[in-house]
Amino acid sequence: MITAQDKILHVASKLGLSSLQNMQASTGAVYDVDTELSGQIFSQATRHANPSVTNINENQFEVNEALLVETIAFYVKDGSGNTLNFQNNYGSDAVIVFDLVIGNKRVMKDTPVFAAGTPYAFANNGAQAINSGETRTSIYAPRHQVFMEGAGILIPPQVQWYVSYTIFNVVTGAIVTPTDATAIGCYLFGTKVLLNFNTSI
Amino acid sequence: MASQPQKLAYVDAKLGAPSNGQQTTRILFNTIEAPGTTSSLTFFRSFQGLTNGQTNLTQNKLDSMESMVIKTIWLAQLDTSGALGFFGGLVQQTVSIIVGNQTVVKNLPIQFNQGLNGQAYDRLHENGGTGLDRNIPPTDTFQTNIPCEIRLLTDIVIPPQVAFEVRIDSNAGAYGTGAVVCALAGYGKIFSAGNSF
Repeated sequence: MITAQDKILHVASKLGLSSLQNMQASTGAVYDVDTELSGQIFSQATRHANPSVTNINENQFEVNEALLVETIAFYVKDGSGNTLNFQNNYGSDAVIVFDLVIGNKRVMKDTPVFAAGTPYAFANNGAQAINSGETRTSIYAPRHQVFMEGAGILIPPQVQWYVSYTIFNVVTGAIVTPTDATAIGCYLFGTKVLLNFNTSI
Repeated sequence: MASQPQKLAYVDAKLGAPSNGQQTTRILFNTIEAPGTTSSLTFFRSFQGLTNGQTNLTQNKLDSMESMVIKTIWLAQLDTSGALGFFGGLVQQTVSIIVGNQTVVKNLPIQFNQGLNGQAYDRLHENGGTGLDRNIPPTDTFQTNIPCEIRLLTDIVIPPQVAFEVRIDSNAGAYGTGAVVCALAGYGKIFSAGNSF
């Protein structure tokens, strides 16, 4: 079974990134919110507040930094900056259909993320919330994640990436338009390569 | 044990299918609108009238340079208000996956992985939902159960350009007037012009 580190080194070798193997391996995540409601996430991160909206200055990594994407997740950010659950805001019938684009290549294609809880997410139903009405009842806060089991995808250094998405109602097929109070956020999590000066200078 | 990429590469090689596509995680889905009460549902057979939010295919086969391994079957039932219900009510149902002229998953019961009996096949699976006698009914934003999902123990391959479908059998399953959705998730390869031109 190929490990995350093996995959990073394999792709780096293909791309001619001979020094990546000397960098610091780590765990990392990048996130951003489509506050412009443009249907793209990460592509406008340079204009977003850090860290309240994003943790990147631009949608490409520095020299000798990279991320092997192993989990992609979606969430909602409201007008007050709160991070919320997609299903609790859009309803169980919503679905995000997204592409992940790295450079000029679409590496995730028309991938659905169901508000009701996506495939792979069954092992844990996420946090439970309690309705504080007259009768206390458990409700689910489903996960909206894609676990890239067996096929993590490397974002190489100095290549732009973004997530393109559309929200639909899966029952009617109609497009659902986000608002400033329900802006869609996304994070990419996985094995990270950090620049290591000790071996590069 | 062969990994998903190894299994897909093995089957693609046996079939003489191209193996130089972009490796990725693939989720295929298809929706049936207003299924009502029926004894048989077939997903990935009809694409007529569905939008990109209801299916991500236009025919019941993958493109010529695409293939995938199915690891998970996911089923959901939604009513017209958007609330998630139990798939087919609580009656016993089975799922079959047919690839080409071969049944590759045959009459696998789905009811244990959803609903109230809590006897899911895999040990990490959550119970399917809260009790039926809840005083607050579920709404679109107040979800009281989770979709039905079964993780397969073997890797099922959908080769390029071979028709496939997912069939649900029951004795009068109640699927409602909203919609039912089936998703097949796993590892796959998608066409990559950069590698093939």
